[in-house]
Amino acid sequence: MSIRKTSKTLLKRAGLIPIAVGTLTVGGSILALYPQASSAQSNNTSHLSNNASNYGYTGSYIYGSKTGGGSSNSAAITNLTLSASSIPLGKSLFLENCSSCHGTQAQGSSRAPNLQGLGAATVDFWVSTGRMPLADPTIQAVQKPSRFSRSQTLAIDAYVASLSSGGPLIPNVNLSLASESAGATLFSTNCAACHTITGAGDALASGVYAPSLSVATPTQIAEAIRTGPGNMPRFGPLTLSNQQVADLAKYVGYLQHPNDRGGIALGHVGPVTEGFVGILVGLGSIMLAGFWIGGKNK
Amino acid sequence: MITQTTDWFDERLGIAKFTRKSLNKIFPDHWSFMLGEIAMYSFVILLFTGVFLTFFFVPSSKLITYHGAYLPDRGHKVSEAFASTLNISFSVRAGLVMRQMHHWAANVFIAAIIVHVCRIFFTGAFRKPREINWFVGTGLLVLAIVNGFLGYSLPDDLISGTGLRIAYSIVLSVPVVGSYLGFFLFGGTFPGNAIIPRFYTLHILIIPGLIIGLLTAHLAIMWHQKHTQFKGKGKTNRNVVGVAMWPAYAFQAGGFFFVTAAVIAALGGLVQINPIWLYGQYVPYRVSYAVQPDWYMGWLDGALRLMPSWEIQAFGHMIPNVFFPAVLLPGITFTLLGAWPMIERKITKDYEEHHLLDNPRDVPWRTSLGVGILAFYVVLFFASSTDVLANSYSLSLNFVLWAFRVLLFVVPPLAAFVAYKVASETGAVSTTGRRKRILIISRSSEGEFSTTETALRAPMHEEVIEELPEEIRYHAIKDGHEELASAIAVGAPSGGSTISTNDVDLGPLQSGGTGVYQIPRTPRGGTGDPRGRISRRDKRE
Repeated sequence: MSIRKTSKTLLKRAGLIPIAVGTLTVGGSILALYPQASSAQSNNTSHLSNNASNYGYTGSYIYGSKTGGGSSNSAAITNLTLSASSIPLGKSLFLENCSSCHGTQAQGSSRAPNLQGLGAATVDFWVSTGRMPLADPTIQAVQKPSRFSRSQTLAIDAYVASLSSGGPLIPNVNLSLASESAGATLFSTNCAACHTITGAGDALASGVYAPSLSVATPTQIAEAIRTGPGNMPRFGPLTLSNQQVADLAKYVGYLQHPNDRGGIALGHVGPVTEGFVGILVGLGSIMLAGFWIGGKNK
Repeated sequence: MITQTTDWFDERLGIAKFTRKSLNKIFPDHWSFMLGEIAMYSFVILLFTGVFLTFFFVPSSKLITYHGAYLPDRGHKVSEAFASTLNISFSVRAGLVMRQMHHWAANVFIAAIIVHVCRIFFTGAFRKPREINWFVGTGLLVLAIVNGFLGYSLPDDLISGTGLRIAYSIVLSVPVVGSYLGFFLFGGTFPGNAIIPRFYTLHILIIPGLIIGLLTAHLAIMWHQKHTQFKGKGKTNRNVVGVAMWPAYAFQAGGFFFVTAAVIAALGGLVQINPIWLYGQYVPYRVSYAVQPDWYMGWLDGALRLMPSWEIQAFGHMIPNVFFPAVLLPGITFTLLGAWPMIERKITKDYEEHHLLDNPRDVPWRTSLGVGILAFYVVLFFASSTDVLANSYSLSLNFVLWAFRVLLFVVPPLAAFVAYKVASETGAVSTTGRRKRILIISRSSEGEFSTTETALRAPMHEEVIEELPEEIRYHAIKDGHEELASAIAVGAPSGGSTISTNDVDLGPLQSGGTGVYQIPRTPRGGTGDPRGRISRRDKRE
């Protein structure tokens, strides 16, 4: 008798389990949709400054850093000099990985653009963020772990830059001279309209999207600003001074690890996730409690 | 001492009778009747946390230079409203948890109202005589949504400022009076300096005052009319079966308040909501992509997103595009919602009083209509997050938008059809909703199998139906409730509490206490034999 009674009680309670599990699963999956930024690419950062001294200045292509932003502090961004000795390595890497679309002299083809004269910064951005080499040129390039080491990437940059003069050099951002506060204002004015105010990124029209900035390095941020990859507008030195670029890089770095007071951050995408949590977790758990203490139809 | 005090008041105010009646008030016990309570308790939490926030919030759009604790904003020109919200979040002790609780409570508050409305709708609890409470409830829903939006706008951050900009454009889109209305509401053109102080007054004084007034009316009418109940053993259209206010219901409801408060406090302490410091001060020329309103405005935002860019001419003027999704749609929505009891009455020609609830499966047409309409708004709600969905699932934003435009017209009829089928099919099965009985399968010595149905176990919380005490039966007969007195009785385990009809004190129960009681219900506006006013549904059975 008592065994049957116990089992029936258990059966009755078991009716609650699917509801509880369902609520938790749905809530959990929603949280899982917006994972915090992983540190997939962060290892690229440190190579830059360490290896910078190993590369001698190759020379003939100098980006006009003095032209814009009269009041800017040019020390906030210094240009990386590329070693001429790495050009043969860069050439072989380029022929192996890039030339099938861009051509052996980076002159471009029907599938890919001419890279001559775009500068080292352009090549460095696309290769170091893993967007190049690209599998399908018809869709937006996806950020992924780079196929090349930092020195290999710089070799490719040096090779392409050696083919033709012009274009921005690889910027090296001195974050200690940059201001987070100034960066915040610049970011909300110039960047938030696509990348969102938290840098989480979002979908734009026709399958194009503004990527998340959660793994961007200061150099990549400065390169993107100066070269305008993909749909992004190019911000030249007359629009944003070197100092302002450095400020932006610093603020984006802050956004990657912001002051997240208040508990679990729900992906920094605003009220969408908050609404789901409020309804499913908040109201859902209160309703479960009400179901538990309230009467049921017999 | 206590007796002396209460006697002192009783001799002057005569409160003892009222108190005793109140304590013996019968509440039908069903979990779905507690959904409205969630809303009420969330509102109480909103009041408490809101009062705390008013101590520190400065409702002013005056620009000052920020020198507070949040470093990335130092040196910026921000409004006093934004600066004080940062101050609440970073410097005021327990400020952030209070702010987050306030915001979470608002989200839960309106969500609870919606599920409460759904319960009322699908069980037909809005039918005569409860139409007035339906109107009041609709008003409360509108006020809650409006006040949520006002509160969301107060911190003057980039996201809410963008929402205000949209709201201003919506007001402007009203034909003929739009520009005057916008000027009146915003004190000039957008953004101006008047919005924050005005919205503050509306948010903390006028609309909460209206909500409290309507909520009191809502509860008083409910109290006066007595609660509805589901069909069940001993439950008729002429009585109320349930637990007494004191002690059973008071503890259940009081405990439920603490559950609600605990969940909201846990959310406020553990889950971040609206981190305005990451958004920054609102500046009209700045905008963030992916701006959504809080969830309860999502259906309007979704409607704005889905509306094609048609330019519609009427009376020689162009009617602004946003007028249709953002003014006409909510207008129609709340008008139809509020008028629903009248509309249903026109359809069913049912002029009877109903105190017994419909099970949703008993009225498939209403259930399917409700599900269909709800599905329409759910699609609109999800359409508010087109960009987030497109980004999360790596889809084209245009594809998601067009998918929602199609879904908006495909999902509601489909959901209504499925609901109709489910309701009518389950309603046709006599055992639906009954507790399943365990079948014992046995095998005879000849190898033949047979099944035996076991007896239904008494439920864990059986409502014990007992004979009415003689004295109460006398009063019931005297009041013309013979059918009650003879056929139905109440469970009354122990104690000495009383049970009362509407008007007549029935005196103490011989063994009253925490049991399940049923009391007669006097028909409203009825004349003659009360039994003549039994609903058609009851007659059919």
